[in-house]
Amino acid sequence: MLLTEKEARTICEKMLSYVKADDASVSVNSENYGHLRFASNAFTTSGARENVTVGVTVWIDKKRGSASTNEIDDESLKTTVALAEQLARISPVDREYMPTLGKQTYKPVDGYAEATSNISATSRAKTINDVITSCEKAKVIGAGFHQARGSASGSATKNGNFIYEQSSLVSLSMTARTPDGTSSGYFLRNHFDVAKLDTTRVAGEAIRKALDARNPRVLEPGVYPAILEPQAVADLLGFFAFSFDARSAEEGRSPFSAPGGKTKLGEKIFDERINIYSDPWHPELPGSQSAQAGLPAQKIYFVRNGVLENLTYSRFWAKQKGKEPTAGPVNSILESSQAPVSVEDMIKSMDRGLLLGRFWYIRGVDPRVALQTGLTRDGIWYIENGKIQYPVKNFRFNQSSMQLLAPGNVDMIGKSERVGSSEGQGGNAALLPVLKVKEFHFSSQSEAV
Amino acid sequence: MTTSRRDFLKTAGVAAGALSLSSLPSWISDVTAAEEAAANGVNKTALADIALNTARKLGVTYADIRINRYRNEFIATREQQVQNVSRGQNFGFGVRVLYKGTWGFASSRSVTPEDVRRITQQAVEIARANSVYQRKRISMVPVEKVVTTWKNAFEKDPFEVSIDDKIQFLLSLNESAMKTQGVSFVNSSMSFVNEQKFYASTDGSRIEQYIIRANPDFSVTAVNRANGDFQSRSALGGPQGMGYEYVEKHDWKREAQQAGEEAVMKLKAKAVEPGKHDLVLHPSNLWLTIHESVGHPTELDRSLWMEANYAGTSFLTPDKIGKLQFASKIMNFIADRTQPAGLATVGYDDEGVPGQRWHLIKDGMFVDWQTTRDLAAMTGQKKSYGCNHGDSWGSISFPRMPNVSLQPGADNTSLDDLIAGVEKGILIYGDGSYSIDQQRYNFQFGGQVFWEIKNGKRGEMLRDVAYQSRTTDFWNSCDGLGGQATYELGGSFSDGKGEPGQSNAVSHGCPVARFRQVNVLNTAQR
Repeated sequence: MLLTEKEARTICEKMLSYVKADDASVSVNSENYGHLRFASNAFTTSGARENVTVGVTVWIDKKRGSASTNEIDDESLKTTVALAEQLARISPVDREYMPTLGKQTYKPVDGYAEATSNISATSRAKTINDVITSCEKAKVIGAGFHQARGSASGSATKNGNFIYEQSSLVSLSMTARTPDGTSSGYFLRNHFDVAKLDTTRVAGEAIRKALDARNPRVLEPGVYPAILEPQAVADLLGFFAFSFDARSAEEGRSPFSAPGGKTKLGEKIFDERINIYSDPWHPELPGSQSAQAGLPAQKIYFVRNGVLENLTYSRFWAKQKGKEPTAGPVNSILESSQAPVSVEDMIKSMDRGLLLGRFWYIRGVDPRVALQTGLTRDGIWYIENGKIQYPVKNFRFNQSSMQLLAPGNVDMIGKSERVGSSEGQGGNAALLPVLKVKEFHFSSQSEAV
Repeated sequence: MTTSRRDFLKTAGVAAGALSLSSLPSWISDVTAAEEAAANGVNKTALADIALNTARKLGVTYADIRINRYRNEFIATREQQVQNVSRGQNFGFGVRVLYKGTWGFASSRSVTPEDVRRITQQAVEIARANSVYQRKRISMVPVEKVVTTWKNAFEKDPFEVSIDDKIQFLLSLNESAMKTQGVSFVNSSMSFVNEQKFYASTDGSRIEQYIIRANPDFSVTAVNRANGDFQSRSALGGPQGMGYEYVEKHDWKREAQQAGEEAVMKLKAKAVEPGKHDLVLHPSNLWLTIHESVGHPTELDRSLWMEANYAGTSFLTPDKIGKLQFASKIMNFIADRTQPAGLATVGYDDEGVPGQRWHLIKDGMFVDWQTTRDLAAMTGQKKSYGCNHGDSWGSISFPRMPNVSLQPGADNTSLDDLIAGVEKGILIYGDGSYSIDQQRYNFQFGGQVFWEIKNGKRGEMLRDVAYQSRTTDFWNSCDGLGGQATYELGGSFSDGKGEPGQSNAVSHGCPVARFRQVNVLNTAQR
């Protein structure tokens, strides 16, 4: 059972009552989680977990200590607070200590659906049986993952703040492979409301991609114009709104640093149609009400019309630099300031290029320009004269995200939709569009399917 | 002020001896007050009986219960300041059942007889709901009943070492790193994990294990503010299945100073010329290439498409056993859950199978898999190699990688000997960027420090190097292995796999090794 607001408040107040330190923040999080996995068109593992964790951070003479536990009887709570205080006493002064916040006012966010938190094992089994049946009918081999999570959390400070939030998330991802192992398709979607997760679409798209990607041809690696579907954009840029850190930029070690100890704030770093922002109240992508240290979250633009408008200041760094601390990000949205272009129209407009559905194993190579390497996976098609011509084999890429979105490289932008990164297994989400770009850098071939 | 755990116990007002720990092995009595409070009254054997009897009555063919406690400690510093000192612990149980050839699992933090019964029923309900639609029944190979305890071979429990000592150690490491003019930043940390695991199954096994792992780490950064360039150099020594003696025995301060010097040098290092180069790889680099391109493709679940939706399948299909020359004939890769200081070293896996040692690649030939009891049954094998692991009481156990290591050459070949055989090449230390495709063919790896090799000698420092190859081409291009004296153990503290994602700690040992004509990229050229 998830904690009610009253229960969460009681635990937080109890922990604070044990605190002898000068300052403290406490938190409690309860979770109900369930999953069902399938492979080779059969059920594999499936399970459930219920947990409650509490955490406490205290400061004594500005010295900090933290402790956590999942045992919430009074004695364990008392001991956990005492442990944090003991760690604080023996620690050096926390030079970045900022007093915890007093009472704050939050504007509610609607990101919780009771039905998501309470999906039954029986209904989930039937949903996945339908998915596997569609694979069998299409003569493909399906593997996938269904998960649902409900959580309720409370946090409080010694200076009088308290916040309680509930959230939920359900996702389904599926890979369809042809029985000979020469073709593969993938699709993933998630939502906070199970009623809005279209599991039939997930299965149908994965199967369609697997069938459409049969008999791929070999293309030489190199620089190609490309259309990136939302899944591919999510795999590359799903967490982009969380990368605009002011401190690392001002310390000279970020793609947003500029020579001479400056930053790129105010510069047009991206195509002028690009907007990157965080909005806690977006109906499709509700974020947390609470940003860093409990600051009430706000809608914040990091990039507006291609210009770097904000960097994220922690409370400590903001004080050092005489700035306001940033009340976000709590989610990640990339959208065009112009009317969206459909993927069909993008394909029609392309003389020669590639359609990319998904990326895999993306890792940073050069942080100076946000250069990443990774591979295409589960469907890539060659386009010529405005039409998809044939599927092609996978590539490794080495691509800078800064260069990807730079002025001159972005050709068209589609409508943003809710999608999670595939390496993140659908446990996160962002609102991202289809992108048509003039150059995407492929460095070698991969024969993997 | 120096404070140890014993000081803490005094401060917290808890008398260790006053608690009843009769159901626990003696070494578990050495725990913190919070843990003692929770452990009091938990009779694991009795709880196991409740779970296993309940599951049997509900018609399962197999059940196990894991009642586990995990402790962790993390200390983080930068330059002259401490950023974080934290300790955490969590405790709970998970019940896994096999009903009509279908897995079910449920877990809870509430370790009481009532909740053990309720959660066991839930695990069976999940298995039953799924079994209605099950297409392929799962079975398991048998294993002998075991009742025992096991503890990994650490010398000094890190949870016994004072926090103050650890902080002073990290701050002094930072001071060493900052000695070189031009060093701008240093981040350092230590994390320690203690797993106290209890396993019981319907096979009659009852196994308790106590495991310690240590992960000291640092990264030094030099920034050239005039031109906006920056370069980092991270620690070469990785995590180990050891206690605090690992922190004390390795010369971290000397390495930190060297890292500072090398970070500054990297700013002015020569750009690498892309193209084919011979490579001499130090174990601090090669361990990660072994992990990604030998460890993962020899996981049998990948070959059987069980991981198709996430980590991917494997180019090593079942028909390649005994036929594929995976690597050059001088190479032997051994899977080993008994390896000293190995992060994946255990007495028994999470389904009661003893730790074992076996060849995956013998004389360059692909000869065997990593298996669990259900995977072994799927492929007609009689026994499991014991690769089942769950990263928490709340995670269903499934196939995870054992330690996989490249054996050193039989002679005393040194690093210099290998370099002497290279006309034009690159010597690489440390792990950097890493990426590999979903069937483990095409990979790209970076590093921390790169040296040009010219006419058999180490030359200037290089920068912006990554090597890219195809797994079997790469391993077959190896023509030189260092001897035992060059052998080192690298590893990962948190290797991800599975859905929902789980973490596994795993080690990979190897000697220095030489590879011919590998494709090298200049990552600064775009």
